[in-house]
Amino acid sequence: MPLLATRALTKTFGGLRAVDALDLHLEEGEILGVIGPNGAGKTTLFSLIAGSIPPTAGAVLLDGVSMLGRPAFKMVRAGVVRTHQIVKPFPNLSVVENVVVGALHAGGRATGSVRDRAVEVLAFVGLEDRTHAFPGTLTLAGRKRLELARALATAPRVLMLDEVIAGLNPAEAQALATLIRRIRDERQVSVIMIEHVMPAVMSLSDRVVVLDRGRKIAEGTPAEVVNDSVVVDAYLGENHEGGTA
Amino acid sequence: MERFIDLALSAVLLAGLYATMAYGLGIIYGVLRVVNLAHGGVIMMGAYMGWVLHRKLGVDPYLSIPIVVAASYLLGVAMYRVLVRHLPRGAAGGPASLLLLFGFWLVLRNGAYLLFTGDDQSITTAWSTSSVVVLGSQLSVSRLAVLAIGSVIPVGLHLFLHRTHLGRAIRAVAQNPDSCTLVGVDVERIYGITFGIGTALAGVAGLLSATLFAFNPGSGSSELLKSFVVVVLGGMGSVPGTGLAALILAVVEVFAILVLPSYLTSAVGFVMLVLVLVIRPGGLFGHRVLG
Amino acid sequence: MRSRIRGLAPTPILAGFLLTGAALAVLPLVLELSIYTHNLMTLTFLSVAGALAWNWMGGFLGQVSFGHAATFGVGGFVAARIVLWAPVPAPLAWLVGGLVAGVFALGAHPALRLRGPYFSIATIGLGEATRLLFTYWEDFTGGSSGLSLPIETALKHRLYWWGLGLVVLVTAASWLIRRSGLGLQLLAIKADVDAAADLGVSATFYQDLMIALSGAVVGVTGGMWASYFSFIEPNDMFGFDRSIGFVLMAVIGGVGTVLGPLLGAVVFVLLRQYLLASYPQLYLGVYGLLLIFIILFEPLGLTGLLRRLWQRLSALRGKV
Repeated sequence: MPLLATRALTKTFGGLRAVDALDLHLEEGEILGVIGPNGAGKTTLFSLIAGSIPPTAGAVLLDGVSMLGRPAFKMVRAGVVRTHQIVKPFPNLSVVENVVVGALHAGGRATGSVRDRAVEVLAFVGLEDRTHAFPGTLTLAGRKRLELARALATAPRVLMLDEVIAGLNPAEAQALATLIRRIRDERQVSVIMIEHVMPAVMSLSDRVVVLDRGRKIAEGTPAEVVNDSVVVDAYLGENHEGGTA
Repeated sequence: MERFIDLALSAVLLAGLYATMAYGLGIIYGVLRVVNLAHGGVIMMGAYMGWVLHRKLGVDPYLSIPIVVAASYLLGVAMYRVLVRHLPRGAAGGPASLLLLFGFWLVLRNGAYLLFTGDDQSITTAWSTSSVVVLGSQLSVSRLAVLAIGSVIPVGLHLFLHRTHLGRAIRAVAQNPDSCTLVGVDVERIYGITFGIGTALAGVAGLLSATLFAFNPGSGSSELLKSFVVVVLGGMGSVPGTGLAALILAVVEVFAILVLPSYLTSAVGFVMLVLVLVIRPGGLFGHRVLG
Repeated sequence: MRSRIRGLAPTPILAGFLLTGAALAVLPLVLELSIYTHNLMTLTFLSVAGALAWNWMGGFLGQVSFGHAATFGVGGFVAARIVLWAPVPAPLAWLVGGLVAGVFALGAHPALRLRGPYFSIATIGLGEATRLLFTYWEDFTGGSSGLSLPIETALKHRLYWWGLGLVVLVTAASWLIRRSGLGLQLLAIKADVDAAADLGVSATFYQDLMIALSGAVVGVTGGMWASYFSFIEPNDMFGFDRSIGFVLMAVIGGVGTVLGPLLGAVVFVLLRQYLLASYPQLYLGVYGLLLIFIILFEPLGLTGLLRRLWQRLSALRGKV
């Protein structure tokens, strides 16, 4: 049984089908890449899985159990957490306090004091020397790490990363890619990542799903997907220069 | 049936006043994203301006409209320049702007107490007691006049916003202040003018209201709440939207008399306010701001 | 979580707080306080407790309520009715009044998801609707002619300590809330409801919890108020001006800070006493100007001023 799955998941806004009868699955310990052109429904998919918005039809299953009707905060407690492309730290809380908020909701999946876990996560993402700083003083790369740390503090089983690498310089991007792999290897967290930076997503992902207009148009290993003619037409083709840059 | 027609007509007459009040609050919110909590205070000042002009100088309340408009406009521009301009806008500035303008309301109230004492006042003219018969109902002339003015003002505002250069600039700023700055629109100036127009409308509403109801320096909170109901319910999308919302509020209030003790009918507006806010939380003012 | 989250060392503040509390408790026993002073201090305590509890909503959660008089009135009238019905000890009546007020405050639940000014304006509507309903409900509140309680001089005297006890309790609660995970979650909700939910925080639960707690404390002060004055009237107890009072006290002292509302309430009550005695005609305007100046120049009110002063002093000491 997959750790997480969607069954005919659908979301319409007005007449627009942002996510259209989508079947996805995520295995334990897997890194799943989700790619597709802008407007393909990737972020909407995350919002549906995270419980931020209710689906029009279909369901999200965790360990085979339907999560229908669970709002975002309950999904976090069940072990499914997301980050945002535009990071949203709490500006009125210090870096460690930001992480503590997440650490309070690890449920039975974590041991030790909330504070100790928050400090441990900060060290894991490499923000240990900014513990008492306020998020406004961090660089973009720092804020992305904080976003990761907050999500990791909830001791997730499924971590959804929304363009966490985009916008970083090559060195920062490389460091963050290493961090994502360590999250899976050392913390046993399964990862779904939306990413536009092709080299990163292709090297990190065990499997890649390609979305276009809310539908899954291809699925497979990174190598298979890159060679799929449908994908090249729908996405890689139009975006090829940006994609390989 | 006769009672029904009576009530329906008085609801229509009331709606004109409510629409005028609401436009003052709505245009400021639509353009500046600031809820003018001093709105009720400006309405109260408008009432006193009309009262002073009538009582001391003998100016007919309808003739004093231009004077009240000009004075309230200047008050609004001053409020913007001295107070509102220094606030953070948008969600972050929410509580701050609310408290600041609330403070200004308290100052207005205090000023009115000092100048006019706390006694109830009203504007009574020869018109006040005369009435005409419409559909078998006795309708007071001043109520009809309020309806007429209350209908002309939104139409005028609509034309101003759509047909004049300044009006178009205001609408553009409402939609995207940043790109307006880029193309050389003086956004600060537009904000000041808009705040002035909003308070001018509130001032006129106060004057009109004073020809129908008694008022004192403490008046204004129920006017503020009613304006808010109408703005939320109607959105700032269109003249008909606000007019319709004002009519809905007036009808509900007036017909509440049939089922509620008269003392409680003023609670209807408050309850409606909460209901409307809760039922339409997302697109409160619609996305067609001044569109 | 026991280790300090903010830089401030808690021990001296805690010690100072306990010492002040103890000093205030023995003050009337040691010094011969005039009845006027004794009573004024009692009223100040009630205001302080109310302001601190208002701050749990308006400060910690950032949901500025203009309708807290509703819970003040409900607490007051329920306590008064209990005292009139049965020979129960007054403190029990206050407690029940507070509990009922806390439950009543939950009636604002649908409005809690409104943000910023929408919530505030909804509370004006709820507060005014409550005032009208209770004024109309003459069987319960006596309508606009109010309700009289038996005058108990000894109880009024003892209220000083009850009020002080409540202040100590509510201050300690404010401090604990602010320094705990609960406080962090409240501040997270204040900053960004959606982002908080994405980290597992149930905004609805904490909003309900805080409005109930806040309403209950304000309800208890309403009950004490009824015992103090032996006469209450719905238009006063539920009045808009009373709701404004809570806002003013917190804003003057420093919205969202732990001790600010305490300071603000003391200043508010003393200033009101002074203004009503000397310049009653300027009473509202002074508060209005105060609000304007605070928002424009020092959004954290007196607390902000004190912090600045402290920084100046520290800088001076550093130089010497």
